[in-house]
Amino acid sequence: MDNVYRSSGFDFSNSIRNHSLAEKGLPLPKATSTGTTIVGCVFKDGIILGADTRATEGPIVADKNCEKIHYITESIRCCGAGTAADTEFVTATISSNMDLHALSTGRKPRVVTAMTMLKRHLYRHQGQVGAALVLGGVDVTGPQLFTIHPHGSTDKLPYVTMGSGSLAAMAIFESSWQPNMTREHALQLVTTAISAGIFNDLGSGSNVDACIITATGTEMLRNFVKPNERVEKERKYTFRRGATAWKSESIRKLIVNEQVTPVAGEAMDVS
Amino acid sequence: MWGSQAGFGSLVKGVPSFVIPSVPDPAAFLRLHTDDHADPSCKIKIQHGTTTLAFRYQGGVIVAVDSRATAGSYVASGTVKKVIEINPYLLGTMAGGAADCQYWETYLGVHCRLHELRNRERISVSAASKYLSNLVYSYKGMGLSMGTMICGWDKTGPALFYVDSDGTRLKGNIFSVGSGSTFAYGVLDQEYRWDLPDEEAQELARRSIYAAGHRDAFSGNTCNLYQVKEDGWQFIGNYDITKLHYDGPGEAPGNGYGYDIRVEGQTSTDLPATAGQA
Amino acid sequence: MDSIAHPTQRQFNPYSDNGGTILAIAGADFTVIAGDTRQSEGYSIQTRYAPKVFPLTDRAVLAVNGFAADGNMFVKKVKQRLEWYRHAHSKDMPLRAIARLIQTMLYARRFFPFYVYNILGGIEEDGTGAVYSFDPVGSYEREACRAAGAAQSLVQPFLDNQIYFNNQQPAPGTSHPVHLPLPTILSIVIDSFTGATERHIEVGDGLEMYVVLAKGRGVQGLEDVRGVQELSVTEEGERIFVIRRDLKKD
Repeated sequence: MDNVYRSSGFDFSNSIRNHSLAEKGLPLPKATSTGTTIVGCVFKDGIILGADTRATEGPIVADKNCEKIHYITESIRCCGAGTAADTEFVTATISSNMDLHALSTGRKPRVVTAMTMLKRHLYRHQGQVGAALVLGGVDVTGPQLFTIHPHGSTDKLPYVTMGSGSLAAMAIFESSWQPNMTREHALQLVTTAISAGIFNDLGSGSNVDACIITATGTEMLRNFVKPNERVEKERKYTFRRGATAWKSESIRKLIVNEQVTPVAGEAMDVS
Repeated sequence: MWGSQAGFGSLVKGVPSFVIPSVPDPAAFLRLHTDDHADPSCKIKIQHGTTTLAFRYQGGVIVAVDSRATAGSYVASGTVKKVIEINPYLLGTMAGGAADCQYWETYLGVHCRLHELRNRERISVSAASKYLSNLVYSYKGMGLSMGTMICGWDKTGPALFYVDSDGTRLKGNIFSVGSGSTFAYGVLDQEYRWDLPDEEAQELARRSIYAAGHRDAFSGNTCNLYQVKEDGWQFIGNYDITKLHYDGPGEAPGNGYGYDIRVEGQTSTDLPATAGQA
Repeated sequence: MDSIAHPTQRQFNPYSDNGGTILAIAGADFTVIAGDTRQSEGYSIQTRYAPKVFPLTDRAVLAVNGFAADGNMFVKKVKQRLEWYRHAHSKDMPLRAIARLIQTMLYARRFFPFYVYNILGGIEEDGTGAVYSFDPVGSYEREACRAAGAAQSLVQPFLDNQIYFNNQQPAPGTSHPVHLPLPTILSIVIDSFTGATERHIEVGDGLEMYVVLAKGRGVQGLEDVRGVQELSVTEEGERIFVIRRDLKKD
């Protein structure tokens, strides 16, 4: 068995079996998929990334305030849509590799480097890693903004959207984006675009996260706008002590009384 | 369709008509959209899952059912009336499609009354069950799903028939129908005698439904118990299966059907009460 | 992914799921019937205001959920039959009779079902609050409370705990109340919907609660409710009120 050739990376040998099982009505366990709105936009001094904060499992909201803007390096960030685990791990892996790359080259790595690493990784896995990404940052060449699709194709555009809310958000960009916007204007536009996703796409919801990356630094605006705070409940739902039925009762002391008996010598000097 | 001509009022004119989708195979169409066994994500989930039983004995017929309705793995209801009171002398049970049983057994009630008016005597259980059997047989292959027991008392004494949507009609002393029937039969067959006294017969039926409710995930919640005597059926009671497990059917606790009381202090996981105390 | 194009069979599919949730709770001498107003398909909102709860008579309210086209058509046909009944008998059809009518109307489509889950609420002839719930082909049952639709599996367990007191032992020497007062039930209904809106993507936008009061029952419990609107024209007989609330729109 040792000298049988095994390719590196994922093992696809079960995919035929899984496919036939799925056809017989035994689908694979569902991974948490973030129906999402993520956007990125170039402005005068850099890049603004935006994301909503809803994570769903089918029609159920799994997390009302998750973080979809992932750290790559101090001046490069990446928004993830698609399978939650895949976006989480693929960005963490590339973040780590970017650090190693910086150490080995002795230079600040560029956004294209991260983009190339991501697209190679995704292409190698033929869409099995379900990550749809918006990558943005500022490097020696200036502000850079990319989208990366699950199969590895990329785009370089001044304003981009991804996820189930991408059409709602793109509608805002297409009607209002302008070149050389101010920071305030661009942040307002990104907020409007994410809000369009939050309110018009069922897969997106809750709050707006934004991240402003300029040559001078990165500002992560977590929960920049919170337009969907939970309203106060009409009633208090506390239960009377003893509301739960029980079968048997046994009471034990959790504090163990320990008696210490000195055997020999003097007591330790603790002064 | 005008005024009281609507609904069952129009049934005297014959079997009601049904809307059929204009596709080559209507039964396949229905199956595609309603069969949650073949496709768990199908939209229209018809309620399923049941334990029902009935047996004949010297005192009449005992009928007992659970009250759970499931749609896939979801417990859609825990308070379903699975005994259908057709008329004061006839009971039908519900297993399979809830709507099929409710509708056709109500419909059967209408025709039993028409029989009384035409012939000046009550319909026999045999004739009533055959009427139902012939009726569902005429819809064979269309997708009806019923497994029912028609119970009653007629000139011949206590009578019990099993009728299902395949067209099967059987006369018998003991029947149990539904996903929990195997568990119910286990208890029923062990203790059944013809000369059971009323009290013991009721207890046996309760105990059998309890066993099914305990072991079958698609049965449970409560047990509805009926008895048919010469002067018609009588509702005996509704019993919570969880309460049967811990406390038993009576008011006084400590007579539970569960095995806890039988193993108390005898197993390693259930040490005598004093052992756990500090 | 699939390099070989497999032959795929297309079938007549007249159904779609439009999300949303409905709920009804019966009190001793009143009934509350409620539904959200969002109508959606897939990840898109078709409208933020599509009523799912409809008053039928002065003492009956019907909530429909599932496929909106089937639901609207079904309500239309029920209303038509109730009008015919009024012309023939010079009175409104009693609630239990409407329930049986709905059964026969649903079962007439046994082989081509309406994809609709119905909940009928109102006041019975004896003056008690009643809720009838139906499956798509017409099996029905009278209950004290029922939730149906997209968030059924989120709301019904909450109702079982708060209305039926499931898994709650009463304090020693006391027992749980059989019927809850109107303000309590209204609060539970509102909390059911705000809770479902938080955790189900197809629930939200607006909430409509219909309250049917038995004949001769005062409006106690409704005086302090914000935005309550009476639909009945006379204070004789049963009275119907509607209360509208906003739900989150994300």
